[in-house]
Amino acid sequence: MTTSPSPTYSMAMPGKRFPRISLGILLVLPALTAITLLYALPLLRSLVTAFRDNDGGWTTDHLVRAFSLYGRDVLFSIGVVSAALVLIAVISIAIAGYLVLGTTPWAVRFLRWLYRWPLFIPFVVSGQIARSFLSTNGMMNGVLIETGLMMSESAQSFLDWRGLVLTFAWKQIPFVTLLLAGAMAAIDRSHIEAARNMGASRLRCLFGIILPQAAPTLWVGLILSLVAMLSVLSVPMMLIAGNPTMMTSMMAHRITYYGDYGVANALGLFSYALTAVTAWIYLRLTLRREVAS
Amino acid sequence: MSTEALTLNDVTIDLRQKRILENIHLDVAPGSFTCLLGPSGCGKTTLLRAIAGFTPLSRGDIRLGRRSITHLPPEKRQTAMVFQSYALWPHMSVGENLGYPLKLRGVPREERVRKVAAMLERMELGGFESRTVTQLSGGQRQRIALGRALIIDPPLLLLDEPLSNLDAAIRRSLRSELRRLQKSLGITTIMVTHDQEEALQMADQIVLMRGGHIVQVAPPQTLYHQPADLAAARFLGVDNTVTRQTSDPAMASAATTFGFRTRDALINAPQHPAMLTRKGRVTECVYTGDGYQVSLSTERAELCATSATPIAPGTFAVVQVPQSALIPFGPDDRHLPPLDRQEDIA
Repeated sequence: MTTSPSPTYSMAMPGKRFPRISLGILLVLPALTAITLLYALPLLRSLVTAFRDNDGGWTTDHLVRAFSLYGRDVLFSIGVVSAALVLIAVISIAIAGYLVLGTTPWAVRFLRWLYRWPLFIPFVVSGQIARSFLSTNGMMNGVLIETGLMMSESAQSFLDWRGLVLTFAWKQIPFVTLLLAGAMAAIDRSHIEAARNMGASRLRCLFGIILPQAAPTLWVGLILSLVAMLSVLSVPMMLIAGNPTMMTSMMAHRITYYGDYGVANALGLFSYALTAVTAWIYLRLTLRREVAS
Repeated sequence: MSTEALTLNDVTIDLRQKRILENIHLDVAPGSFTCLLGPSGCGKTTLLRAIAGFTPLSRGDIRLGRRSITHLPPEKRQTAMVFQSYALWPHMSVGENLGYPLKLRGVPREERVRKVAAMLERMELGGFESRTVTQLSGGQRQRIALGRALIIDPPLLLLDEPLSNLDAAIRRSLRSELRRLQKSLGITTIMVTHDQEEALQMADQIVLMRGGHIVQVAPPQTLYHQPADLAAARFLGVDNTVTRQTSDPAMASAATTFGFRTRDALINAPQHPAMLTRKGRVTECVYTGDGYQVSLSTERAELCATSATPIAPGTFAVVQVPQSALIPFGPDDRHLPPLDRQEDIA
């Protein structure tokens, strides 16, 4: 009987190892190049620009100016995004929960068909819809006055932080619901039935059994929504006229009117910092899930 | 909570315009162990789920003790079910899994901890509170699932093929353990199974089902020796059937067919006139541990019999079946009732 050489032995031979590694690099190269050229380099460049003055020297002036001029906008952005995230979480849990636990088949089917529509509407159109819906003479006030639920004198415009929160939520709820409902549907049906059999109402079942198991997906949905909301320019531009407003709006303003890339990039740095924190949470969650599975 | 009787009256279930169960009547005595037995797709699990409240009835009534539970949601029925997959919640520890039903009932924390510890001791898994359920073996999961069902002291225990995911040795030991536990608690239990051996060993009463109907409700001995019809007999291991001949034992005059089990059919035993006798050519002889299973090709049928010694294929052999092992069936394939046999003897 002959014995074949062990894999460790052949791996240890330098002559054989080299071509295997270079082939691996060759296979990864297109993706690596695309990521480097399209994402890493522009990101690095904008980060560097935030710390460079006109003469090419290093400075923290942009950062200080950005914060002194737009500190309120940064806080406003964080506030709006947080409020929107809370709203998104609450409503998507409610919708996804009903899709999984609902006992009226036609209502479940109707909701499943209905909730996805905003997914196919771009942010700019959402902004336009929100404008005509939430303004002083908009459809919302119109309906409330027509139906006698509100006096015409008390009609007010929602085109401020509330409009932003509502529009962001309206746009992002279907996305988070889609992810969450998928995760909830993937839970073994018997887990839910066992809880109900033991005496849990549907609501307790949702919060005690289903949501804890689907929570990682909810976090992922919320983090991706946060990134989307922090990067949208059209909605704040269309909904909010004055100050404070979202960071994206101010960045655009800084570049369009002053050509001031330094401060704009410093503002971008705050966005990166926010998303970086959440991206770190996101990566931790996905990694933990992969390890668990 | 005291154990209670279960009564099903005219239970009919349709799912997606298809009739799954029709006209089910069943009385389950308090404290008894009933098995729903039948092949896959016969509706036994649907019946169990209907009792638990997961499948709505199209018609009929389910009563637990005196009260009707037909229109109650699952959480109000107080039935405790053990699922085939055990359905232990992976985001909770073993202790939390066991304690959750108590938590739902507002039992204070200290009492919960005490009851969980006591249940774990009873299940011989003492000190397992903080383990995650994914760390447990199949048998341990099964016990935790059973403990979770029993911890609320339910009036009715429902078991959906609880032993089918376990390997043979654990299954055998858990069978008797489960039966002992049920007897000591005196809890009314209904178990779904497709394993006739399991049903025969464990049940006080077996409900044999087929195609959405109940075929027979009987104690294990009766079911085994007097299956309602030929199909039921085949499901219960009656693997040989022969058409009656004039030379056959004079019993059950109306019988046109006799059924018998391979283990009761002897090869080349001393000839006896009171036995059913068939001759045939041996087609196969396989070792089964206890002896040899011999397949024969007779004039009218393929038969199987047992032999203590191997028999070479191709040789002729005589199969004999004692009268006591013969199960008589009428022309409509129905089992001939004992009364008929009595008349015959008279």
